[in-house]
Amino acid sequence: MTAGTVHSTAYDDLPYTRGGTVDRAEVGALVQSAVDGDAAAWKALVEGLSPLVWSVVRAHRLSDADAHEVYQTVWFRFAQHLGRIREPEKAGSWLASTARHECLKVLKSLRRLMPTDDPQVLDRISEDRTPEQSFLDSEEAAAETERIRRVWQEFEELGDRCRQLLRVLMASPPPSYQEVSGALGIAVGSIGPLRQRCLRRLRARLDARGAL
Amino acid sequence: MNDMNDMSDLNDLNGGSFADEGIGDEEFGDGPDAGFDDSLLDDLRLAAGILDPVPAELRQLAVEAYALHDLDARLAELTFDSLVDAIPVRGATDSPRMLTFHTGDVTVDVEVTAQGLMGQVLPPQPAGIEVLSGPRTGASLTADDMGRFTSDVAPAGPFALRLRAGGEVVVTEWLRA
Repeated sequence: MTAGTVHSTAYDDLPYTRGGTVDRAEVGALVQSAVDGDAAAWKALVEGLSPLVWSVVRAHRLSDADAHEVYQTVWFRFAQHLGRIREPEKAGSWLASTARHECLKVLKSLRRLMPTDDPQVLDRISEDRTPEQSFLDSEEAAAETERIRRVWQEFEELGDRCRQLLRVLMASPPPSYQEVSGALGIAVGSIGPLRQRCLRRLRARLDARGAL
Repeated sequence: MNDMNDMSDLNDLNGGSFADEGIGDEEFGDGPDAGFDDSLLDDLRLAAGILDPVPAELRQLAVEAYALHDLDARLAELTFDSLVDAIPVRGATDSPRMLTFHTGDVTVDVEVTAQGLMGQVLPPQPAGIEVLSGPRTGASLTADDMGRFTSDVAPAGPFALRLRAGGEVVVTEWLRA
């Protein structure tokens, strides 16, 4: 990973993305290469689609342990189905909807027990620093850090559905609506309007706190 | 549309819940500030990359999962999962998880409890069975002449069974126990 770059360019060096969005033809080609034995293609798929899978898992508010297991299950199953996927260019949607189904199973198994703990993500420290984290190490970044923390804090306090939708939409590179649909089980056509309203709701919260 | 997975429920509970929350009724006005929306989403994307990134060890496991790509084995798909397909018995909070996998003429029934795992290969036949828990490890079991097998180790987390029976290899779909 490149260190010290800002978010808008942090992923540009990945062959997977074009202009910050997922390139569907590229995904299809990578899947085909991976089927044919190209481990580098598989790795590029993991790099490009891991954040989407993680976002879907996080959007469902599983405990850390459950989130880790679902993430693994989804990738193991994807490896297993690799040569059998009918529309390789839609691998992102396949992963997103498989992750959703596994999350719903976990939630179902927990239903009669107790609610899961909210992930305390603000306290978590990752060992490998992401490009974004490295950016925050720079001197001019202290105020930016505070702003970003406030945005995250207000996001976490949104209603369940908005939080869920935005958590998936904020995956990097940005997911397609087809992938968001698979991730949340909502119609593609309703994503745009919901996205707009949820972002406005978040903006209203931030304005109320004078945080922007 | 997407036919790779079960996508028939695009307008299911989640869509309804969005409506329940009253999001659709809110009046913010549809102003031309999509640019602002995008920058706010960019901020969220930045925040997620800092505060809730994919854990490095998980990313590594996904990279290693390429080893699980195995075209020589027949894939036995999950056709029954008591968690989803069974009607729960009132008061039964610790009932075993019953799973059925199926491919061609081979069926594998598995029962997972806190004590371990037991199952049967159908039609009944002896088989060598490997319990996979990820790209790195596997424990070996043997199914007897009746196709029955047991393990006193309960799978923790994702698992799959790799069976060698009658000259062919069958792998069950990965599943979280």
